[in-house]
Amino acid sequence: MDQLLQALVSGLLLGGFYSVMVLGFSVIWGVMGVINLAHGEFLMIGAYMAWGLFRFFGMDPFASLVLILPLMFLIGYLLQIVLINRVVERPHLMTLLVTFGLSIAIANLFKIQFTSDPRNVAVAYNGSVQLAGVTFPIVKTIIFGVALFIMVCLHLFLQRTRLGKSIRAAAQNKTAARIVGVDINRVYAITAGICIALTAAAGAMLSPTQAIFPFMGPPFTLKAVTITALGGLGRIPGALMGGMVLGVTEIFVSTYVPGIGTNLGVATSFILLVLILVVRPQGLMGGLRPIDAEAE
Amino acid sequence: MGTGPPASRIAQKAKKKPPFPFFAPVYSLLAGWTGLAFWLLLLLLLALYPYTGVSSVALFVGSQIFVLVTLASNWNLIGGMTGYVDFGHAVFFGIGAYIMGILVTGTPLLISPEWGFWQALPASGFAAALFALLVGLPTLRLKGPYFSIAMLGTLVAMREIARVLRPITGGGVGLNLPPLLNRLGDYYLMLAVMGLVVSLIWWIQRSEFGQSLIAIREDEIGAEMRGINTTLHKITAFMIAAFFTGIVGGFWAWQNTYIDPDVVFVEARTVEMVMMSMLGGLGTVWGPPLGAVVIYFLQDLLWGNLSGVHLLPLGLLLVVIVLFMPEGILGTLGDRSSTSLGRLLSRVGRSR
Repeated sequence: MDQLLQALVSGLLLGGFYSVMVLGFSVIWGVMGVINLAHGEFLMIGAYMAWGLFRFFGMDPFASLVLILPLMFLIGYLLQIVLINRVVERPHLMTLLVTFGLSIAIANLFKIQFTSDPRNVAVAYNGSVQLAGVTFPIVKTIIFGVALFIMVCLHLFLQRTRLGKSIRAAAQNKTAARIVGVDINRVYAITAGICIALTAAAGAMLSPTQAIFPFMGPPFTLKAVTITALGGLGRIPGALMGGMVLGVTEIFVSTYVPGIGTNLGVATSFILLVLILVVRPQGLMGGLRPIDAEAE
Repeated sequence: MGTGPPASRIAQKAKKKPPFPFFAPVYSLLAGWTGLAFWLLLLLLLALYPYTGVSSVALFVGSQIFVLVTLASNWNLIGGMTGYVDFGHAVFFGIGAYIMGILVTGTPLLISPEWGFWQALPASGFAAALFALLVGLPTLRLKGPYFSIAMLGTLVAMREIARVLRPITGGGVGLNLPPLLNRLGDYYLMLAVMGLVVSLIWWIQRSEFGQSLIAIREDEIGAEMRGINTTLHKITAFMIAAFFTGIVGGFWAWQNTYIDPDVVFVEARTVEMVMMSMLGGLGTVWGPPLGAVVIYFLQDLLWGNLSGVHLLPLGLLLVVIVLFMPEGILGTLGDRSSTSLGRLLSRVGRSR
């Protein structure tokens, strides 16, 4: 019973991280229809930024979000204007190839710059507390709290502000949004900026819990696809639900299947992804766009 | 949704003409039997090449180029002709390499006696084809981007699995194969495999089987309506491509004498395959080999000295090709309507 409760808590904490990690991917896909295969690489950039700030300025990873968020917003904004806006009107395959090439280029740029040695961010509060017989790792609990906070903020932003409404309008019907005077390119650039900033923030928060290396990205991209398939496109409650499901599944697999450890998380999410896509091509919550209908 | 392309774009499409009409006859010369004749002549010349007394380095370079050409042609069969853009094709390379490594060293599974190279090489091909059957049955039902991502997932997942299955694969430590240098043998082996694969692709494109694949690419539902067994065709094409990729993987493991999960199950190898096919001309017979040769010499000339760094320009080059030359060399020089990418892209794409 204790083991079950512990696995459940660990899974939910991991799920909190996953759901904030997936936000950027899911919103980009939902708003512009771009499947960003460089998602994991932006997460990796965030983690390296947190590592650099920690290593050279002694800055706490969570405090460094104040710097990382605006900087990555700018990078995302520029990237969208320079590159992605050129292909966003073109077919899926094109954006897929561009972001795939981008992910390889970024990962190898970081390999050249920082070598492939794993880096660590050793924060002082890296312990855990016992509560009612269940262990709560401190860092992961903080991540969980920040993740919920970020999700509430993004939800309010999308629902209440004028800019958020124009982003949703662009997602729902681009032509109509254009007719009523939404500057699509600017909205896309702002969306990309927000999403990439959020992704990098997730990477920065991840940095105390995991080794950072240039090729850490692809598993996260894959997990992001799985969570999006679970929870639907661009929906914050869906991302929360999908993240929790994946987190709990992964922890249960590593707890109850002997002799594997946590390494098979990627394989777990891959099997989950293929199962979902084969059984329900529209995604578990029905949020994915059916490709067939788009073809003509 | 459902608005259709704007009128201006339709007009643009109609006006699009080959920029180099001068090359069109060259292109049509490559299309039929003459293309095969040129190819066989080239193979003959390449077979005579070692007799001119070249160094073993030149033979090594030759076999490396043959490997790339074979990989590009294989990828083109599933990615270009069938229209299923496979982002995880390196997984078959990795399977082939690991089967070769396991059978030849024998130690992990206590196989005794160890298999020889010639027994293990077909085994790596068949293992890759079998894996393609298992993976393809679920993933080939997915459409467009979902297939690409599912295959990328297969690659990443297999890398983790190879790392975890320590008793069989040696985990992250990898496997060491017996070092046996035979540059001349390597050269002829890969020349034979390359010749076989490219000729096979040429034959497939002319056969009913290949035309069915193209029909699937253009309109899968329509192809099914016409009575084409799409599942069978897709799986067969996938397994053929996987078989030869597995053979190449096994050969590569033998030549490299060392494998570990990070060396064989890498996305970079898939990027190479995609890029070489796209640069040459996706869905054409002679495009991918041309692209492979161009990429090899580009790498050699521009950044050959910076080992490990070459992937950065490779990724950027992919972006540039997609942006500015999506129809490849052959597509740009020749008759645009006969290359596939424009149509492929518009089929996979979204309505506007």
